[in-house]
Amino acid sequence: MLELASISNLANLTPAVIGEAASAAIPAAVPSPEFAWAGLILLLPAISAVLCGVCAAMGVKNKLPGAITAVALLAAFATTLSLFLKMPQDAPRVIHLFDWVAFAWTGQGATWTSFLAPFSLYVDSLTLLWMLFVTGLGSLIAIYATEYMEADVGKGYARFFGSVSVFLFAMGSLVMGGNLILLYLGWEGVGLASYLLIGYFYSKPSAVAAAKKAFIMNRIGDLGLALGVFLIWMNYGTVEYDALFKALAAGGEGATSEWSKAAIPYCLMLGAFGKSAQIPLFVWLPDAMEGPTPVSALIHAATMVTAGIYLIARTFPLFALEPHALTVVAIVGCATALVAATIGMAQYDIKRVMAYSTVSQLGYMFLGLGVGTTFGAVYHVFTHAFFKALLFLCCGAIMHGMAGQLDLRKMSGLRNVKGFGVISWTFLIGCLCLAGFPFTAGFFSKDSIIAQAFASGNPTFTLLGWIALFTAFLTAYYTFRVWFRVCGGPTKYEPGDEMHGHGDDHGAHDHGAHDHGGHGHGGHGHGGHGHGGHGAHEWHPHGPRLAINGVLLLICAGAILAAVPSYLGEMQHQPNWVETMVSHSSAAGGIPSHDHAGGDHAAHHALSFTGIADVHAATSVVASAAGILGILVAVFFHLINRGAADRLRAALLSNGLTRWLPLALENKWKVDEIYHVVFRLPAWVLGHVLHAVDKQIIDGVVVNGTARLPAELGRLFQPLYNGALQGYAATMAGGIALIAAWVFWIWMQGG
Amino acid sequence: MLSTLSTLLLILPLLAAGAIALAPERLSKWIATFATLGVFAVSLAFAWGFPGWTDGSIAPADAGIPIGLGIQLSLGADAVGVMLILLTTFLMPLAMIGSFTAVKERLREYYGWFMLLEAAMLGVFLAKDAIVFYTAYEFTLVPMYFLIAIYGGADRRPASIKFFLYTFFGSMLTLAGVIYIAAQNAMAAGEWTFDLARLAEFASSMSPERQFWVFILLMAGFAVKVPLFPWHTWLPLAHDQAPTAGSVILAGTLLKLGTYGVYRIALPSAPIGGVELNQLLAVLCILGIVVTALICWVQHDVKKLVAYSSVSHLGFCMLGLFSLNSIGATGSVMYMINHGLSTGALFLCIGMIYERYHTKDMDQLGGLFRRMPVWSFFMVFFTFASLGLPGLNGFIGEFLCLMGCFIAEPNSVAGYPGILGPWYAVVAGSGLVLAAMYLLIMLGKLVWGPLKEPHGAEPHGHGHGHGHDHADGLPTDLSAREIGILIPLAVVCLAIGLYPKPMLEAIAPSVEKTLAAYPKHVEKYVRDGSLVKPAESKDPTVALAQPADSIK
Repeated sequence: MLELASISNLANLTPAVIGEAASAAIPAAVPSPEFAWAGLILLLPAISAVLCGVCAAMGVKNKLPGAITAVALLAAFATTLSLFLKMPQDAPRVIHLFDWVAFAWTGQGATWTSFLAPFSLYVDSLTLLWMLFVTGLGSLIAIYATEYMEADVGKGYARFFGSVSVFLFAMGSLVMGGNLILLYLGWEGVGLASYLLIGYFYSKPSAVAAAKKAFIMNRIGDLGLALGVFLIWMNYGTVEYDALFKALAAGGEGATSEWSKAAIPYCLMLGAFGKSAQIPLFVWLPDAMEGPTPVSALIHAATMVTAGIYLIARTFPLFALEPHALTVVAIVGCATALVAATIGMAQYDIKRVMAYSTVSQLGYMFLGLGVGTTFGAVYHVFTHAFFKALLFLCCGAIMHGMAGQLDLRKMSGLRNVKGFGVISWTFLIGCLCLAGFPFTAGFFSKDSIIAQAFASGNPTFTLLGWIALFTAFLTAYYTFRVWFRVCGGPTKYEPGDEMHGHGDDHGAHDHGAHDHGGHGHGGHGHGGHGHGGHGAHEWHPHGPRLAINGVLLLICAGAILAAVPSYLGEMQHQPNWVETMVSHSSAAGGIPSHDHAGGDHAAHHALSFTGIADVHAATSVVASAAGILGILVAVFFHLINRGAADRLRAALLSNGLTRWLPLALENKWKVDEIYHVVFRLPAWVLGHVLHAVDKQIIDGVVVNGTARLPAELGRLFQPLYNGALQGYAATMAGGIALIAAWVFWIWMQGG
Repeated sequence: MLSTLSTLLLILPLLAAGAIALAPERLSKWIATFATLGVFAVSLAFAWGFPGWTDGSIAPADAGIPIGLGIQLSLGADAVGVMLILLTTFLMPLAMIGSFTAVKERLREYYGWFMLLEAAMLGVFLAKDAIVFYTAYEFTLVPMYFLIAIYGGADRRPASIKFFLYTFFGSMLTLAGVIYIAAQNAMAAGEWTFDLARLAEFASSMSPERQFWVFILLMAGFAVKVPLFPWHTWLPLAHDQAPTAGSVILAGTLLKLGTYGVYRIALPSAPIGGVELNQLLAVLCILGIVVTALICWVQHDVKKLVAYSSVSHLGFCMLGLFSLNSIGATGSVMYMINHGLSTGALFLCIGMIYERYHTKDMDQLGGLFRRMPVWSFFMVFFTFASLGLPGLNGFIGEFLCLMGCFIAEPNSVAGYPGILGPWYAVVAGSGLVLAAMYLLIMLGKLVWGPLKEPHGAEPHGHGHGHGHDHADGLPTDLSAREIGILIPLAVVCLAIGLYPKPMLEAIAPSVEKTLAAYPKHVEKYVRDGSLVKPAESKDPTVALAQPADSIK
């Protein structure tokens, strides 16, 4: 606690200074074999994955895999909770499970003589915070999916839950792992789970392509992470967090060089940007929406994509050593937030809007890390996990009930449709959080990031703060564009069909066009092509049952309650609970203080036009205004006067000067196309060229040409060439004799 | 005891070959299966009693039987050799059982050649004498030649001839190198010996110029065998045409003869040459990684794709070895084992498809998950093992190879003098991304997507036309026999991925011995630039022919 106080006083200094203090302040880890049962958090999902595999192999035709997974994940959550309650959080605990990668050598003058990456857990409050929402949301979403995926019982059901279990195991290793190699295992493991789940509807070429794209884009990031790990080992001789932080505190003993230390955060950053879908590696996340919606909620919104923030928070002392690294993080985060928000404004697929909003919100989190508030970033991760999971699950429930409809132009006024009440109103709560409506969880967490951008007093950060405020306005607008279009207005809808398969035995089932027992929509129960609403059968949307509605309500409660730490913080002048958690971890170096005794006049002036002296209060007011303004614009265009939005678009399109704007937004700034032309196409052409060179020149001219040489010479010794192999063998024997003669000659010379 | 076991390892397959030749043809496959299983059991016993797991020593240590001209028929291996022996004996029974339905005629020759092949491969890994090594090394070509030439695909003749001649030509140069060292040694010591340890000890004290040229000679054969870019062009052809079991053994073990040769003979014998040529070799490795990965991308034939991917993967393996430090070389040996397992398994999977559809063309096949979920599971599993997913076997080797290359930089930040460094590793690392690209494209075409079967194949095997016919008695999805082949491989892949520690600990001392001479030479190279002073004459023969007493 003592260290914490000293760090707090250092806020508003340059990040580099904060970082050095922080690395000194991370307490040494306590080996805690008595908490070995924490390994259950990893073991339970692993067992569940194996059991799901057994179910798949045995062709189980009921909901058993879903039940196994839900129970295992709930048990993992219970384990995490008891670890949270029982484990003292004064110092990190290292729980050594077994040796994994370990070997040593004598080294002959080398600085480092071993490479150790045990399968051990590093548990501090940051770990616990992350694992609480990972396992908590994981188990809730698994329960939701038991109902959502029921059309696939006996088909992909076991595969789905098996992959979800693999994901939870990998995410657990990523967050709890005590070294960077174990983190890397989790890092690629979640990539595998993500690959399997995005490509769940494997008969759809678009799903297969999206899965592939996600893995490959992530691999680029993984390479960055791997290089970062090499650099860390090279400089500090360890990949274990505890030893690393000790070495940092000791000033990084050993033979190190400036460039290699400075490069560390940039390599890790690349990994973080890949996993967390930031510029330039963000394009995979929107495509990842091809996966079933519970997966989008769990992996591609709440948990996996925040791994990049976890990585930077965990290795924050390394980032703090390099003055420009955090600035780069902030700029990339802010740019991503803005770009993704602009794209989100112009999408019609509600899941895609949510996907871009995830990219955008992740950008905020990186901005938070960059401007030096790990607390704000982590708090935003925490609140975002709830409200974005909620939003996705609402989208999923709508799809489920509306035969796969996702187009916001084709649905309206769902709040009045029977069975959609829970969805509509929990959806509204989620939207309010995302829009940063005052006094919601999302408001507090986003606000703490933007406020720190202004409070830092750095002109670059101030500019980023203004961009973030503008993005907050856009966010509120596109969020409520969705809600007013889909849930507001007159009741009107048509069922979807875009997600359907084509009559094969395993079509795409991520929609509701199935016979949901008890609802008895006899007309659309036939396999993959229940094009509800056409043909002789009348089509009705159908609301979800208990598992989906119950989970929506629970997560909605979570999204509301996520604001409680802030209320308690404001009212009782206690530190925010999340802030306390972060301040006991390796991310403590990035916690700003609450008092602004001096040194930040510039920051105060940055927002002084509001007339409020305190920069935090001023930011709150401006950010609230931005959010409410965004909502009001959405009210006008999408509730009161829906025609105006179309007229505005038409007007922009008809004007030669503004034409590019709607086109650019709707076409996602053509980033995919640019990547295709700049990277993929040249590499593909190069592949063809190299293949031709390999075949025609290396093999054709050089190898075969050389091979023909003795044959041509051999014409002189025609009789030798009576049979292919025998002839060659004879020549070889002759060759050996020649070489022997040559060697003998050398020997004679020497002798 | 250990020497008996090591002799048994060689004799058993030879006896089995004899038995196959004499017994009725219908028994051939069973003799082969039980013989290979027996050899596997013997190799396990050998490994169990092997004393060199912790100190990198070579065992059994006895001198063996002299057979004249200084040649000793002596057997023994270090920990790395024992691991490669285990890999060989583990893959052989699987390859045999995997051939039951694929090969239907000339069974006696087929299984007989495989027995001889096993004996030859084990001979290489067990050799302590250069002539034994070379004889076994060359003898592997003969069975493999016939296996490709008789049981291969449509282009089997040119493929088998190219395979034979190209690798034979390369190893002739290796032989020349070995004989040169032995001759020089004989001049200096007064008696002929081909003992590998003594030859290496002598050769590493030769003059820099000699070591330089000797290294080139030794590498020539191994580079073709590995194969190192650009001497790889025989491999895709051979793989493409070889029968499934042939491909499994070719990728699984035969290529490792090359890497093992570099590890066991080329590197320790001529350290100065190894250091001098280090950069060039690393560049070739990296070119191999990147170029063949790009070539993989545009393949239509899945077997060729995996064959090219072997070239790319072995680029990683050799890069690790050429990083000349414990991390990279340990990773390299891990890579040898794990490439054998996962690529061997991939070839088995592809063979299973080929038996059902008689095509390997990815444009004609697709979405097989719908038809063959069990096969698809294994295919996805081994593909991810092959692209180095942590938790499976491929990861640790790949990671350590890259890491070894990365830290081997001249400024010696980690205290390791090295010649390569981060930029080499960054370019090589792009292979990780490219591997994900081509392997996932392969999965996307074969396993996922809409179902596509060759013309004439009916969904439930109505039995006419080609493609998916059931004339072979094969079920739509994998049979119990086929699952039984793949499960041991998958279990081993997972076990190595989850607990690589024992292997790493056994490899590290061995590679340290192999690379013992390197740190001082590397340091000198980094300080002075070239170790090989320009010879008075540019003619290599003259440089080589300098009298032995000029060595200092």
